[in-house]
Amino acid sequence: MLLTTETMVLNMGPHHPSTHGVLRFILRTDGEVIHLCRPDIGYLHRGLEKIAEQLPYAHFMPYTDRLDYLAAMNCNLGYAITVEQAADIEVPPRAEYIRVLVAELNRIISHLISVGTFAMDIGAVTPFTHTIREREWVNDLFEELCGARLTYNYIRFGGVVFDLPEGFLDRLSHFLDYFEPRLEQYNRFISKNKIFKERLVGVAVISRQQALDYALVGPNLRASGIDWDLRRDEPYSVYGDLEFDVPIGTSEFGVMGDCYTRYWIRIWEMEQSVRILRQCIAKMPEGPYLNKSKRKLKVEPGEIYVRTEAPRGELGFYLISQGGIRPHRLKIRTGSFSAMSIVEELGSGLMVADLVALIASLDVVAPEVDR
Amino acid sequence: MEAQSILERIKSIIGEADLVWVDDQPGDPYLVIPKEKLRRLAINMKGDPHLAFDTLMCLSGVHNMGEQDEMEVVYHLYSLRHRHQFILKVKLDRPAFFPHFYLRVDSVSGIWPAAAWMEREVYDMFGIHFVGHDDFRRLLLPPDWEGHPLQKDYQEPDAYRGIATTREEIEGVLAEESG
Repeated sequence: MLLTTETMVLNMGPHHPSTHGVLRFILRTDGEVIHLCRPDIGYLHRGLEKIAEQLPYAHFMPYTDRLDYLAAMNCNLGYAITVEQAADIEVPPRAEYIRVLVAELNRIISHLISVGTFAMDIGAVTPFTHTIREREWVNDLFEELCGARLTYNYIRFGGVVFDLPEGFLDRLSHFLDYFEPRLEQYNRFISKNKIFKERLVGVAVISRQQALDYALVGPNLRASGIDWDLRRDEPYSVYGDLEFDVPIGTSEFGVMGDCYTRYWIRIWEMEQSVRILRQCIAKMPEGPYLNKSKRKLKVEPGEIYVRTEAPRGELGFYLISQGGIRPHRLKIRTGSFSAMSIVEELGSGLMVADLVALIASLDVVAPEVDR
Repeated sequence: MEAQSILERIKSIIGEADLVWVDDQPGDPYLVIPKEKLRRLAINMKGDPHLAFDTLMCLSGVHNMGEQDEMEVVYHLYSLRHRHQFILKVKLDRPAFFPHFYLRVDSVSGIWPAAAWMEREVYDMFGIHFVGHDDFRRLLLPPDWEGHPLQKDYQEPDAYRGIATTREEIEGVLAEESG
């Protein structure tokens, strides 16, 4: 006789500790196995695109901090580059280097949170306290730089708002000297941990084709074996002058494109960011840090789509101007949004506990999904 | 391929009629196509080995209320195989009466699955219907929300399910409660 089973509908979220913000999943489960997974998003929708249409260009900068609060510098940078290209604003070389420096520093702390919460979501709470300790140091550096610890509002059209304080670069290299061996330590006690590995290898594999179809970006795309990084392939700012490698997922540790590969990509990217930071410190030019020539900003009618590489992948701003001081339309395309849209497809067939691992490995941040 | 040769290729696929190539303004050039040709062109843009647009970077809606009340759907396409990009636009009239009959365009979610959520978002924000979409609902706003906020003539409702949405009203309610 066949065993009959019953499905039940389970609500996961909106207040679930592993959902990285406010997200809800409606799951139809049969025992532990998910038959259907429907993400329900929008709990953090703040209407940023509508707000952008009603504000002068410069006034929207603080809102980009809130676009992804774990990588505020990168969001600032993406928006600033978009408006600079549209309005033809020159950026002095020192400002370019400072921008890359803060963006890479922000990438490190964003990946630290990602790695830490990843371990915490699947049950290992201690690693999070270690990663957050390193992040605290960078937060102190940022506080020294611009007075804010999370929402920096530091980058301006044509440069940055403050110059580097006295001795900042020395303190930064001190941090890097401390941080680089830490990564090896993480590998010893998280990455190569047997339980961690067995828990993640081969879970929720995203194939090359799926990654392309769902327009995945950033670390999630590279984990599926696609060699694509905007910093190297379409260099913006001064990335063209810097040397770094782009880590690509391999099947060395199991299956390419699984949760474990996506975890490793972030560890490797932190190593590369340290490399970039050291070069920035060595090459930091003297000179002005802000181009003050255009105080009243007007953008000629036209449209432009600019994308930059944020920690969660490609961050695109599609700006349409009809002249004047406000944008006609500003569409924001984020990495977490496409990462979230693939969960619906990947979710069915997983165990409930693996769904938590999948979301953590995609490094989804809810405010970036909802905007 | 350069944008010009992509354009030639497109012309050889769907014919030259009704195509408008806009490259006289600053920024990115784009091609406006009639909405009837969208699906056929999209299939070919992904499938044609010379074009091979394998990713849909961005799908946005735009509402223009200048001389003419019209909406646009903009497709930013990128080919990782050939490393080139192209921008397609579809323009839709928005008449004053029964606009939802006219704001209709074929869905490309069967061709680029990433479009599924992006189209839902455009519907949510602009009220453009995508025909042939598998799971067509609002994405960000609640299902019973009235109106589409990114339309230029959108009026924000005073309340949603009895909850005030403006600050003055909330303060009024608070003052009443505290007596």
